[in-house]
Amino acid sequence: MNEAALPVAILNYVALSAVVLFIGAAGVMLRRNPLIMLMSIELMWNAANLLFLAFARAWLNNAGHIFAFIVITVAAAEAAIGLAIVVVVFRASHTVDVDEVASLRG
Amino acid sequence: MTHHALGVAGSYPLLYAIWLLPLAGAVACWAFGPQLRVFAGALGSATIGASFVATILSWGHAVQRTGGLQGAHQHLGAWLRGFDFGLLLDPLSLIWALIITGVGFLIHLYSIGYMSGDRAFARFFAYMNFFVFAMLTLVLSDNFVGLLVGWGLVGLASYFLIGFWFERPTAVAAARKAFVINVVGDVAMLFAIFIIFAAVGSVSYGDVFANPGALGSSLLLACICLFIGAAAKSAQLPLHTWLPDAMEGPTPVSALIHAATMVTAGVYLVARCWPLWNASPDAQTIAGTVGGLTALVGALLGSAQWDIKRILAYSTMSQIGYMIMGVGVGAYEGGVAHFFTHAFFKAQLFLAAGLVIHALANEQDVRLMGGLRRRMPLAFWAMTVGVLAICGIPGLSGFFSKDAVIFGALEHGHPWLYAIGIGTAGITAYYMFRMLFITFFGDYRGAMNATDLGIPATEAQALSSAANEPPHGTQHHAPAWLMNAPVALLIVPSIFAGWLLVGGDGSPWHRFFSGEFRTVTVSAPLNELMTSVMVLAVVAIGVAIAYWRYASAPALANAPARLQRESARMPVALRELLYFDTAIDLLFVQPAIGLGVIFGRALDPHVIDGAVREAVLSARWLGHLFRSFQTGLVRAYAVIMIFGVACFVAYYAFMGRLVTH
Repeated sequence: MNEAALPVAILNYVALSAVVLFIGAAGVMLRRNPLIMLMSIELMWNAANLLFLAFARAWLNNAGHIFAFIVITVAAAEAAIGLAIVVVVFRASHTVDVDEVASLRG
Repeated sequence: MTHHALGVAGSYPLLYAIWLLPLAGAVACWAFGPQLRVFAGALGSATIGASFVATILSWGHAVQRTGGLQGAHQHLGAWLRGFDFGLLLDPLSLIWALIITGVGFLIHLYSIGYMSGDRAFARFFAYMNFFVFAMLTLVLSDNFVGLLVGWGLVGLASYFLIGFWFERPTAVAAARKAFVINVVGDVAMLFAIFIIFAAVGSVSYGDVFANPGALGSSLLLACICLFIGAAAKSAQLPLHTWLPDAMEGPTPVSALIHAATMVTAGVYLVARCWPLWNASPDAQTIAGTVGGLTALVGALLGSAQWDIKRILAYSTMSQIGYMIMGVGVGAYEGGVAHFFTHAFFKAQLFLAAGLVIHALANEQDVRLMGGLRRRMPLAFWAMTVGVLAICGIPGLSGFFSKDAVIFGALEHGHPWLYAIGIGTAGITAYYMFRMLFITFFGDYRGAMNATDLGIPATEAQALSSAANEPPHGTQHHAPAWLMNAPVALLIVPSIFAGWLLVGGDGSPWHRFFSGEFRTVTVSAPLNELMTSVMVLAVVAIGVAIAYWRYASAPALANAPARLQRESARMPVALRELLYFDTAIDLLFVQPAIGLGVIFGRALDPHVIDGAVREAVLSARWLGHLFRSFQTGLVRAYAVIMIFGVACFVAYYAFMGRLVTH
């Protein structure tokens, strides 16, 4: 393993990624505004991307870069669909509180 | 190809014609009834007649004997290897085929007149032809499985015909009863075939009869199972109760069932399986005893009936008892001879009774008849000949065959059955002459009040309603000769058929069978002449009692009062038909109903339905459980999902550590 390729120690990247992931997860679990929740999901995507790129640089393996692009693509698609759902739900229920959109309760 | 000890394994295609012509008639009447209309009767009769002609043409082949093999044989096909089906016409089945098609033809002719105007005229002939076909299947088969097929078809045909007037609930009940009791016999037959096949490895008559000893210890059981089948079909004790009820069918049906088909199948079975019975003296005793008792009981019950057809039904039961006694004890030729003569005089009695019933607009109670001698001379003379023949008056057919059976019982070492046979002959004479005297002598009582004659009010109501609504229309009638000719024709064999037995070992009857049956006789203490004298004495007593009670001048003078008194004083045991129906009801029907009640009230709702209900409840409970997870809260789903992912990550992190260490 050649850690000289990275000016900063790899553990710092991992720690930052974990923090960002945690913030994203907390946002999804705690906030009730769907837009904020979508943004939190984006945070989690980016935590993953950060790890991909950090390890790609550390191990000089380009597969991580390719995966980061795939994640960005999927995240874009997810954001598009997610926002569309939010718009449709808002039109139907005139609310942006996800807890009140619970008509599928069993 | 199997070589049959009975019948040449070969080809005689005319047997196809005998066998299938009635079926063709049945199918044609069935399919094209509306188009055929009144011609259905002619078509049905013609096919039976053609079958009769084919039987006559086969006579020469049937009795030929080449190298120890006898009869005409037609191979039909093999079901499995070792299960060769074929048709066999040997002297025994020839006798039956002649009666079935010959007497059957006359009954068909008669039916054209009797059933004319019935709205299901074609259906009637379809059933009648089917009945003849079923019976021919039974007697022409060369193996036990074919026999059983015919056996079952006969039961089915009887169900159709007894319940022919299905608007009457009583007819439907009678048809069902006949079918159920017959099925009891069918099942017993099936078991007999299982036993035989297990022991012999073949179901063809030839293989089984070639060596009855192969059955070993199961021989008696096989005979008993076969005999249960015979008893159910031939109305032997205690399976006889369907026979009198079967009188609900049209009268020609009764004639066909009693004379030509069905009830004599048991006699055929025992006569056909004579090597088995010969090999098992116990089976002979059982069959002989049941036959003798049936003869006695049938005669007793016949003495207590008021319905002309029921009197004849019990007389049939009694006479079949004689036949079974004859073939049971080993007097095969005598038993078969009694079948032969009985077919003629019983058909004649029924057809003559049908003339009376037809003329009196379906009145069947003899108490409402009387004095018909002058109004219906043909019916009277036909009935008289039939009565004389069945009583065994010398010179008429019944005399020869009945004495052959009775003497046969003694000759084969059964003195008790001999005594029963003689006693029953007296009772037979009594009840047959009773019927003749009440119906044809004295004054006509049809216009009288039914209750004055001792007919219970409820029964009188039913009778009058039946008479007021004849099931078959009376608007247009077939020519009278169609009904009269068969009755008149049957007088000839009723008188003369018995003469075939004259001459002992040189008689035409004995030579016809040419030693087919082999039996062992013991030296009888009495000879045949003395037997005849004793029978005649007993018969004379029976006739005298009947004359004294019903036809003497004082009896005729106040006939209505006497009939009323006799009806009122009829012993309860006889009125209840010796409790056979009650016993069967208590022993089988009530337990079956009880079982049904248990199933209906306990097992079905609590066990079967309970299990279903439990399955439903557990499905519902599971549904409740899983439904509670569906909160509809997106954030809750997210929490669960993240928790799940965290679990996966933790698991793999932990496992990874294990692997690297």
